[in-house]
Amino acid sequence: MSLADAAASKTTSAIRLDGVEKRFGDHLVLKRISLEVQPGQVVALIGPSGAGKSTLLRCINLLERPTAGTITVDGVTVHADHEIKERDLAALRSRVGMVFQSFNLFPHMTALRNITLPQQRVLGRSKAEAEARARALLSRVGLADKADQYPARCSGGQQQRIAIARALALDPKVMLFDEPTSALDPEVGLEVLKVMRELADEGMTMAVVTHEMQFARDVSDHLVVMGDGDIIEEGDPHQIFADPQQARTRQFLRAVLDRE
Amino acid sequence: MTGIWQDFVTHQGQLIDGLIVSLQLAGLTLLFGLPGGLILAIAGTSRTRLTRYVAIALTEIGRGTPALVMLQLVYNGIPVTLSGLLSAGIALALTTAAYTSEIMRGGLQAVPEGEIEAASALGMSRWDTLRDVVIPQGLRIALPSLMSFSVIMFQATSLAFTIAVPELMSQAKSIANSNFHYFNLFIIAAVMYAAITISASAFTDRVERRLSRHV
Repeated sequence: MSLADAAASKTTSAIRLDGVEKRFGDHLVLKRISLEVQPGQVVALIGPSGAGKSTLLRCINLLERPTAGTITVDGVTVHADHEIKERDLAALRSRVGMVFQSFNLFPHMTALRNITLPQQRVLGRSKAEAEARARALLSRVGLADKADQYPARCSGGQQQRIAIARALALDPKVMLFDEPTSALDPEVGLEVLKVMRELADEGMTMAVVTHEMQFARDVSDHLVVMGDGDIIEEGDPHQIFADPQQARTRQFLRAVLDRE
Repeated sequence: MTGIWQDFVTHQGQLIDGLIVSLQLAGLTLLFGLPGGLILAIAGTSRTRLTRYVAIALTEIGRGTPALVMLQLVYNGIPVTLSGLLSAGIALALTTAAYTSEIMRGGLQAVPEGEIEAASALGMSRWDTLRDVVIPQGLRIALPSLMSFSVIMFQATSLAFTIAVPELMSQAKSIANSNFHYFNLFIIAAVMYAAITISASAFTDRVERRLSRHV
């Protein structure tokens, strides 16, 4: 472990990004972004489409490999310019849960199996142990009666809550949400937001890419506004909503808030 | 018509024995050919270049060579003496593996990328993702094509009469050679092949419906 790694692991941040850059060929999608998320903090990432919010989120669990920079999650550091070892990748991903816009449940498995399988494969839990945990989580997201249903038989909101339970079953230190309600109609999205709000209240560290401005304002502790692959402005959500400092933020907030 | 029936009744023992050998040969072909196809399909998408190239080469050779040539090659061409049935099984299994690997690869690739991404975000290994997420769904997508290809391979077992395997076609021919009722015996053979083929297709439909219950 290098000195830099040792220093990084001593910091208390749950997530720490240092100079994270992502290029697709000539196109610079993320411009050396640095960001810290403290344990228990809920960070909302907002901004126009194409700003790089989802790409940034996907860099945190390395679904997207950054072209430069370092990423530290709960003490595990990965450098973009070194080759990423399979072991580090597994260690990092075991600490991070992710929820996708399109749910991405496994359609050939029941809700219960969707939640038990990763526990057995990744954490080596026994079937009985995994099932107990899965059933507990299903009732927590209000879906105890859906255990034996296949995803196709569940509504979008139910599928997303199953996906949240699936991620939580692995006891992640951090949860990433990539536009979790964008594929849902507004009313159904509320069930998902309610679960997320409860999770935040229980002290889960969360990074949420969202177009739900109310959630960003009222639930998050820290707001990050992105545009053109960069952080335009960050800080207290209420303050930014009330008095944005940057013209680009003002323009974006006016566009989304005047609609409501 | 009565002549055909008469010939069938007279020679039914020999014909049914032939059909059983045909079915055994088809079983042998699929038993080794289908897993072979799956291995080639997975190897064809490997991240290791060598594995990928070997798989692609085997697939192209297997598809580029007529089953009859493969059959003669395995039976007469290699220095090891194998029984006719085993040679035919190996040759047809190679053809099956090569063709079905393409069908299976298509099925595996049709599994949505998002699910594979979710599996890796959950920390599942590449192998577990393949085994639990990609293969079960990919094979289900490929199943109708695989089953109809299996029916074609059942019919291709008739090629084995060229290397003296006593399957249905060669039994029919040998009976006809002695009583000269070529028309009758080939009609009987055709109907017997069709009986198996048509019931296999009906079975395919049932399996397909069963598998797509949760969709």
